[in-house]
Amino acid sequence: MKILAKKDLVEVLKGWSRDYTVLCPNKVSHDEIMFDVFDEVRFTLDYTKPSMPPKSFLLPHSDTIFTVDEGGYHPVVAEKKTILFGIRACDMKGILQSMSFMTVDTDDVFYRTRRENTLAVVMACAGPQNETCFCTTTKSGPWAETGYDLQFYDMGDNFLVEAGSEAGSALVNAGKFADADESGALEQIRSFRQQAQEKIPQLMQLEEAMDKLANNGVGDDLWEWFGKKCIVCGGCTFVCPTCTCFNVIDRKTDNSSGERLRTWDACLYGGFTKEASGHNPRSTQGLRIKRRHEHKLRYFQDRDTHGGVCTCVGCGRCSDYCPVHIGTIEVVKAIVEGLS
Amino acid sequence: MTNSIVEFEDADLFFVTGTNTTAQHPLIGSRVINAVQNGAKLVLVDPREIQLAEFADIHLRQNIGTDVAVLNGIMNVIIEEDLYDREFVETRTEGFDKLKSVASRYTPGVVEQITGIKSKDLMEAARLYARADKAMILYAMGITQHTTGTDNVKSCANLAMLTGHIGRPSTGVNPLRGQNNVQGACDMGALPVVYTGYQKVIDQPVKDKFEKAWSIEGLDDKPGLTITTMMAAAQRGELKALYIMGENPMMSDPDSTHIELALSNLDFLVVQDIFLSETAMLADVVLPAASFAEKSGTYTNTERRVQFAHKAIDPPGQARADWEIIQDICRLSGFPMDYTGPEDILKEINQVTPSYAGITLERIEESFGLSWPCPNEDHPGTQYLHKDQFTKGLGTFLPCEFIPLAEVPDEEYDFILTTGRVYYQYHTGTMSRRVSLLEREAPEAIVEVNPEDARRLGIRNNDLVELSSRRGSIRLKAEITKRVPRKVVFSTFHFKEAQVNLLTNPAHDPVSGIPEYKGCAVRIRRCA
Repeated sequence: MKILAKKDLVEVLKGWSRDYTVLCPNKVSHDEIMFDVFDEVRFTLDYTKPSMPPKSFLLPHSDTIFTVDEGGYHPVVAEKKTILFGIRACDMKGILQSMSFMTVDTDDVFYRTRRENTLAVVMACAGPQNETCFCTTTKSGPWAETGYDLQFYDMGDNFLVEAGSEAGSALVNAGKFADADESGALEQIRSFRQQAQEKIPQLMQLEEAMDKLANNGVGDDLWEWFGKKCIVCGGCTFVCPTCTCFNVIDRKTDNSSGERLRTWDACLYGGFTKEASGHNPRSTQGLRIKRRHEHKLRYFQDRDTHGGVCTCVGCGRCSDYCPVHIGTIEVVKAIVEGLS
Repeated sequence: MTNSIVEFEDADLFFVTGTNTTAQHPLIGSRVINAVQNGAKLVLVDPREIQLAEFADIHLRQNIGTDVAVLNGIMNVIIEEDLYDREFVETRTEGFDKLKSVASRYTPGVVEQITGIKSKDLMEAARLYARADKAMILYAMGITQHTTGTDNVKSCANLAMLTGHIGRPSTGVNPLRGQNNVQGACDMGALPVVYTGYQKVIDQPVKDKFEKAWSIEGLDDKPGLTITTMMAAAQRGELKALYIMGENPMMSDPDSTHIELALSNLDFLVVQDIFLSETAMLADVVLPAASFAEKSGTYTNTERRVQFAHKAIDPPGQARADWEIIQDICRLSGFPMDYTGPEDILKEINQVTPSYAGITLERIEESFGLSWPCPNEDHPGTQYLHKDQFTKGLGTFLPCEFIPLAEVPDEEYDFILTTGRVYYQYHTGTMSRRVSLLEREAPEAIVEVNPEDARRLGIRNNDLVELSSRRGSIRLKAEITKRVPRKVVFSTFHFKEAQVNLLTNPAHDPVSGIPEYKGCAVRIRRCA
């Protein structure tokens, strides 16, 4: 266990920036926080839950996966060494689950290589970051159990720092980090965790909703009720730490070369499941919403959860941002309590 | 909009007409849905069964082009049943007697004949709107794109004033602007009759002010031409040169065949755009412009809010910000225009535009902006207009008589074609059709046909059909859907492969010049 004085953090990030691209919470206009390359002026510790999870560093919104020219195909595999500093535990779980989804049956070399070159530094939450957090229900926070290289606990003037991997240990082996008094630190962390856990509200209906889904106990009328108000923006999938669906497009770069890109896609769009014949197995917006929520709360539960309850990590962003309130929280409540 | 987006959540009723809100203003549409689910009422007046129809307490499906009759009918009921706001009418308005006299002829029975709306539905809608405490009217191009567009808008304003649903929060007459800066373009005087802030070119003091501000003499004090009249003048050979910025009239203007003739008849055509549009293909000179992400400056949105956007990336190739291009053209033409950047231009806007005087860079750069009127730097901006009085003092009722579509169906052209947009494509597609995902969602032109008509004409879903008007003919796929009423077909102007504006009628509103995109006579048949 290490200890770091808060005032020394900027120096530490500067040091890491020599060998890594350090991505951390930066303040942009209107008090919005975005994860971006460390910038001493904009870097801030005064942040809650950034609007976007850190998934775009592993699965960029638009990403060239290979180029093609007269000499053949050339895969583009990014191997830049990166540190994600200050991500939340729910987002850490999101990365673990996405890595599983992207590599378990077919090896997605682009995603995997980025992940393998990325060190994750989790900032444990001292409580809910806003009113939609429910990570204690999904068992994905408020601190990370696995997957992190380092985990920071904010103790006021200092951070207590847990290492979760050898690479993480190597980062804190020297410089500003000092050894913490082990038993005292563990006690402090135990108390931090306990208080944090107590503060985060439970989404009581989650388990029952998952049971109902597993037993085909949810009628399509519920999905159609949501479907008729969905404005098909796809925003829920873009802010979701575990949504990784993408589309693939080819384009010419000049007369003798081209590239293939993958870009974020969303199962909420009709064209996502439309077949060449014109037939669409998810023919209504309600059925598309059903698909999305079944992915989170019904399927892949044995394979991808990494200790979580489901492949929703309880960050609450879909409930934060859906313009017509079709977030996981609202869907779960509707499944259990019926439509209001 | 007279009112602001934040006020939607507190409205008791929405009167939505001529706007497919969830498709074209989805974030405003979502606010309507949320408010309705929280108990607000929704009166929808639209020939098509749009997504909001699912949420409507009452849906009036009027015959296309009969909006004035619908609105007069509603006012007739409100006056007859004494549901109007007497105090508001007496203290805030003038001309009520004239309105009463015109409205008196539009009894529910008469209106049913014209509009196809059942008397009892009309009466219910009238009562709901009049009795609501806070009711907002929302409209868009379904109201304006008619030869009677100005009358339609006046009638909406009459209805709001009659019931006092204006000048308070969560009320008002709210035209939803279809582009991020169409309000700003109008505010900045990109209209043939005004300078910035709607200061008229014919007013001598205004002319003096701008001559002084720009250190020149002899500014033209005559109103210019609207787009529709420009095209006609070009075709007659009276207009010699045209400089088009960010507009694609070859696709967007009615009766495209004549637009091509008009543009080809010019001595000189300049097009400034971010992509080589169908119009740019005809140009003598194409000036490459920067896109929104490649330049800084302000936008004024639908609620009159002025916001500053910072450049995110450099423009590609030779593209430059519009203001830089215009400035160079002015210099080369002998006028020493010398702005240092958008900040500098905003300073001039502040100086010469009373409603923008207090909207300074310092105040909007790090905030969510300010809504005009904002007459000085201490002013907080204006969330809703017409609070204690109208701009001109009393609000004048401007009653209108119903005038039918310029081109009504007959035996040869027996359907009405109404046009609009789909959710995934934007206008003439110059931008959205370059996005692969949007192309996947909406790859081709579709014409919506009512199932009963389809059965009679032997048209099945996805059949190729020919759609013809007196001006042209296109082929496209049919979608058989109850979204459109009988004898009406709907299509969009996004697709050059089936250019719907080859068919539309260039007849236009005599005041605003807007063409009647929302209704012309066509015939439809299945292609063999």
